[in-house]
Amino acid sequence: MRDGRKVLTARDLLGVPVINLVLVIICLIGLWWLVSASIENPDRYLPSPLAVAMSSIDMIEKGVLPSYFSDTLVRLVIGSIIGLAVGIPFGLLLGINRTVSDIFYPIMNFFQSVSGIAIFPIIVIWWGNSDETVLAVILYTSFFPIAFSVLSGAREVPMQYLNAVRTMGASRYRIIRDVLVPGALPHIATGSRLSIGFAWRAVIAGEMLAGREGLGWMIFTGQDADLTAQVILGMIMIGVTWIILDHYLLRPFEADTIERWGLVQR
Amino acid sequence: MSIIDKTWIGIQRRFGRQRIRKFALGSIPFIVLIGTWQANSTFGWLPPVFIPELGAVWEAAFTLQEDCPSTGAIFAMHNDCLLTNHIFSSINRVALAALIGLPLGIFFGILAGMNRTVSRFLEPVGVFANSISGIAWIPLAIVWFGVGWMTTLFIMLNTIFWLLFFNAMLGVRGVSKVYENSVLTMGGNRWHLIFQVYLPGAMPSIIAGIRMSMGFGWRALIAAEMIGGTSGLGFMIFTSAQDFKIEEVFLGVILISLIWIATDRYLLAPLEKWTIHRWGMVWKPE
Amino acid sequence: MVAKLTVEGLTHRYPDEYTGESVHALDNINLEIQDGEFIAVVGPSGCGKSTLLNILAGLLPHREGVVKVDGTPVSGPGPDRGVVFQEHAILPWRTVARNIGHGLELQGMPKAQRQKRVSEFVDMVGLTGFEDKYPHELSGGMKQRCAVARTLCADPVVMLMDEPFAAVDAQTRITLQEELNRIAMATKKTILFITHAVDEAAFLADRCIVFSRRPGRIKAVVDINIPREERVWATLVSDPRFTDARDRILGLVREEVGEDEE
Repeated sequence: MRDGRKVLTARDLLGVPVINLVLVIICLIGLWWLVSASIENPDRYLPSPLAVAMSSIDMIEKGVLPSYFSDTLVRLVIGSIIGLAVGIPFGLLLGINRTVSDIFYPIMNFFQSVSGIAIFPIIVIWWGNSDETVLAVILYTSFFPIAFSVLSGAREVPMQYLNAVRTMGASRYRIIRDVLVPGALPHIATGSRLSIGFAWRAVIAGEMLAGREGLGWMIFTGQDADLTAQVILGMIMIGVTWIILDHYLLRPFEADTIERWGLVQR
Repeated sequence: MSIIDKTWIGIQRRFGRQRIRKFALGSIPFIVLIGTWQANSTFGWLPPVFIPELGAVWEAAFTLQEDCPSTGAIFAMHNDCLLTNHIFSSINRVALAALIGLPLGIFFGILAGMNRTVSRFLEPVGVFANSISGIAWIPLAIVWFGVGWMTTLFIMLNTIFWLLFFNAMLGVRGVSKVYENSVLTMGGNRWHLIFQVYLPGAMPSIIAGIRMSMGFGWRALIAAEMIGGTSGLGFMIFTSAQDFKIEEVFLGVILISLIWIATDRYLLAPLEKWTIHRWGMVWKPE
Repeated sequence: MVAKLTVEGLTHRYPDEYTGESVHALDNINLEIQDGEFIAVVGPSGCGKSTLLNILAGLLPHREGVVKVDGTPVSGPGPDRGVVFQEHAILPWRTVARNIGHGLELQGMPKAQRQKRVSEFVDMVGLTGFEDKYPHELSGGMKQRCAVARTLCADPVVMLMDEPFAAVDAQTRITLQEELNRIAMATKKTILFITHAVDEAAFLADRCIVFSRRPGRIKAVVDINIPREERVWATLVSDPRFTDARDRILGLVREEVGEDEE
């Protein structure tokens, strides 16, 4: 019997050894400084790290940065939750019934290739440059990864488990609850991670295109107003936010689920 | 059995009963969709500004091309051949970005992966670069290159490069040391290592990376054309949306997805099949 | 007296998945199983034994013929016909105890009562001490014991077993057979047992049904008149009642297989 949880090391916490990460960051900032100092008109093309830091302090003081950050995050959370809430049941439904999945799989495939970005102009004609438009784009983009993941997860649940529970008189609800969902859980976890990743990319793009306040909007207007420091600040924030989200939240959750189930599935 | 039964069984044998069934079932939503679309126009449920008429979308293709002088002019990308111009602009950028970005990414990725210390050092760089989505680079690209084709090319190039760099690096790192050692003990030098051990060993990761990066790159390209471009399908659908010419938008969107479907189905998926599936190597995405 | 399980004129055809041609799996099966009987079904590969079991279990719908359990026609899976599958099919994400109690849980039995019953069956199949283990921590034989306990615990009217010991090693198989025999004695359950192994059939069954090759028909029924208490491998191996029955069954099966190989 597996004994307790494994011991967490510094490596687990950061994905790479601490010293490595610190060294890399220092080197990158150093390189940045050098390049910035050696080109003409750095303020426009590559503001120095100092300039970017100053810009961030300024924007935090004005309360603007936290508000952009939270706007974007809120959209991500809402869009992801709805996307998962729609995608998971849909994927399960398709996974249970071969006929249903044969019907819907091709058209899902087709619409998946119409990316959320491409669908933006259509939605903008319908709903204008609004939060609903951005949300719709997020939803559209994040729906497919989770639906397809759950679909394949449900399909991979061995038929005999379903049969076994049916012969014990389980209702359809119990079949889904006792067998299908636990069996598909690893795929649900992976699909959620992929789905939220797509949603993140969509929210940034949506804000840029629809002009809604947030991190995406911040870098877009920064370019427009010739505030390159703001642009770079925004890019760094976008990158760091995703790293934190992905490496410290989503992946560990997924790995934990798979590990528990992997221990438990043959 | 009657003649009809015999013929039907013959057809089933030839194409496979399952395939026929799947094809028939899979077509149903498409038929329903197109039917509803047409019904919408016929019965006027939603105004044509929201859902254009089926025919209008088809006609828009010709309207956009009407000033185009000749077929030769199409390929010369004459200014008045609007639709084909946009299509070719986008496709050209894809091709250019792929031609430059794929080899560069693979090359540097392999190099980085070969030296274990260097790759461990560069891994955070790769992770970070890939965390800033291609789309988030657009404003900076506009600062550097202005609005135009250079920006759009850069965005796609950037997306492809980093993804392939990361995948190639990880792929090489994942090659078991045993293979390296066996070639070295047979008297191989560095070049042998690269082409006979690292490149093939990293292939699953690289091929998967190619497929993924083309997908991400294509989408980033469209976004870049929308925000910072002056031509291309992305630019076309964005400006048409601003003019409320929804039939052009629909046309553009359909073309965008058809181009991707065709590329993925007839180029990328077969590539995967001919290389790594044949060699029995399949790569599970991270 | 109403037979526990009645099959009349059961014929089963299905279209082949790939060519669409009709496959004739079962042809005019008639059989009656009385309460408490242990019936084995043997036959060459592809003769339709599993098809028969799946139809009886309600996992496969039937169009021609009548199938009744306790007088009621069968129309879908249900707790009255418990099934033990070849791949045991116990859920990997539930402990042994929760797997065994699953049937009762689905029937709505309250927890306290359930736990009592579950521990009875845990003991009956010899899994005491393993109640809180997960299937991946058990050996093949133990998993199959868990599956048997699960089916028994739900107290079905009839127990259907589809080659349950086929995936288990020879030593464990012998042990499981003797255990099943003891359980059959103790619970007096009506059991239909499908197997490839002729001596397993002869060891366990009161009556052994031999199937012909496809389309599956009942070729013969062999009675095995040995009291349950005397069914122990050590003594039975040399008992003429056993060896005669086994040899007869083997001969019948070989005839069917022989025709196949021509």
